[in-house]
Amino acid sequence: MKELIEALKVKIIDTLYLEDIVTEDIDEKAPLVGGDLGVDSIDILELVMMLEQDYGIVIESKELGEKVFASVEALAAHIQENQPASAIPTN
Amino acid sequence: MKFKLIYPKWPKLSRQTEFHLPPHGPVVLAASLPPDVDVEFVDENLEKIDFSQPVDFVGISVMLTSQIKRGWEIADIYRQKGIKVIFGGIGTMLHAEETAFHADAVFLGESEGRMEAVFDDFKNNRLKKIYDYLTEHPPIELVGTARRDILKKEFYNYKGIQMVDLVHASRGCRFSCYPCSVAYLGGRKFRPRPIDKVIEEMTAIENNRLFIVDNSLAQDAKWEKNLFREMIPLKKKWCCHPIEDEPEVLDLAAQAGAWYVYQAVFDTSDYIKERIRRYHDHGIAVEGTVLLGLDDHTEDFIKRLIDFLLEIELDLAEFTVLTPFPHTPAFKTLQAEKRIFSYNWDNYNADKVVFQPKQMTPERLQEMLVYAWDTFYQETSQQLRMSKLFQQVIRKERSDNTHQPRRRDMAHQAFGRPLKK
Repeated sequence: MKELIEALKVKIIDTLYLEDIVTEDIDEKAPLVGGDLGVDSIDILELVMMLEQDYGIVIESKELGEKVFASVEALAAHIQENQPASAIPTN
Repeated sequence: MKFKLIYPKWPKLSRQTEFHLPPHGPVVLAASLPPDVDVEFVDENLEKIDFSQPVDFVGISVMLTSQIKRGWEIADIYRQKGIKVIFGGIGTMLHAEETAFHADAVFLGESEGRMEAVFDDFKNNRLKKIYDYLTEHPPIELVGTARRDILKKEFYNYKGIQMVDLVHASRGCRFSCYPCSVAYLGGRKFRPRPIDKVIEEMTAIENNRLFIVDNSLAQDAKWEKNLFREMIPLKKKWCCHPIEDEPEVLDLAAQAGAWYVYQAVFDTSDYIKERIRRYHDHGIAVEGTVLLGLDDHTEDFIKRLIDFLLEIELDLAEFTVLTPFPHTPAFKTLQAEKRIFSYNWDNYNADKVVFQPKQMTPERLQEMLVYAWDTFYQETSQQLRMSKLFQQVIRKERSDNTHQPRRRDMAHQAFGRPLKK
């Protein structure tokens, strides 16, 4: 789980082109949207695509999205529970 | 010489999510201006006009009927100050006679090869009241790359995402549809631009997302296929009006980066159903442009139509009411039948009923317009549908490594204005 959380932090920085942010700056328990990172709804859209492409996970409803993107920890937990066996994370 | 080119504001569709695209007419005109003209462009939808700023000559570029009255107001202010005003653009062409009362000059037609003479007349104080080139189209080869450098790009940006840039590959239309004025404005002859010029222009646009604004690309399949073939290496992603309904053309369009099309949906036929399916089969999304209030539209028909749009899984839909714009077959018919009850051009934004529908009262048609928006977006909101459409372009861009990050420094503003917290 810890490994996945670290990997996700890297992916979030890369996907959203967050400049001047390193993994240590991201608190996995903090709210992802509206927190210090400045993540907004458009970023979530990019993260939805990343999840689909890299983890084979599809977020289809707003309600699920709100739950999954509550924090990096919540995101990691969702991936762990729902990742298809065939999906191997890239990078 | 300072030439201020103004694009008057107009009320947007009340139910549609607000968006502002960079205008096309003014940048095309700017490309045809003599080199000594220093042009400053003002899009009044996004910034206030500074009437006190010194200027030598004012141009008012009008695209829509719903802009024209505001254009006249602006012109009246400048003319009271003794500054000469010229009008142009397709909206001006639809309202030429009335506009002449508010202008020193009215330019009708396409500007390529004509502006040297107009500005020479201005400099020598011999502007003509009307420059009528409506039916004398310049050679299409004269159409060069539009001058997008006059646009303030930061205004056409939503939360750091640049809006599509507009470009055209042809003029004229061989069709003459009931609600449309293009046959009057651009002629019934389809006039494609040389493909190398179009590609040169598209290449020069510093934006991976385009809107090809041609009336319809489905006019000459051979030219269309050649255009798409040449577009493939550009890896641009684009939306447009209809694409020819042929597998080979659709396949090439998809390869060339077709993202979504604006497609008129006028009935609940299998033809429409299959047409939409074929776009989808090629990975091309569809925004239906749905006009309500035609003579055969009963309340039941409109209700069935909306159900049909949901059934065929249209990606987005824009609902408008039939509006008899001047110089359209619709205007001619409805005027002859004395069914037009408002000639207040401010109301001609396709959002307000200005004529007597055949099957219901104007008030009921107005309600049916609300019904259409509400029903179509009831299950899946406009915002969610737009997100899905946006995901499609990101997916396409990611697959060919053309995806660019958005401007994070602009994430807290929309169309040049700070976002409300």
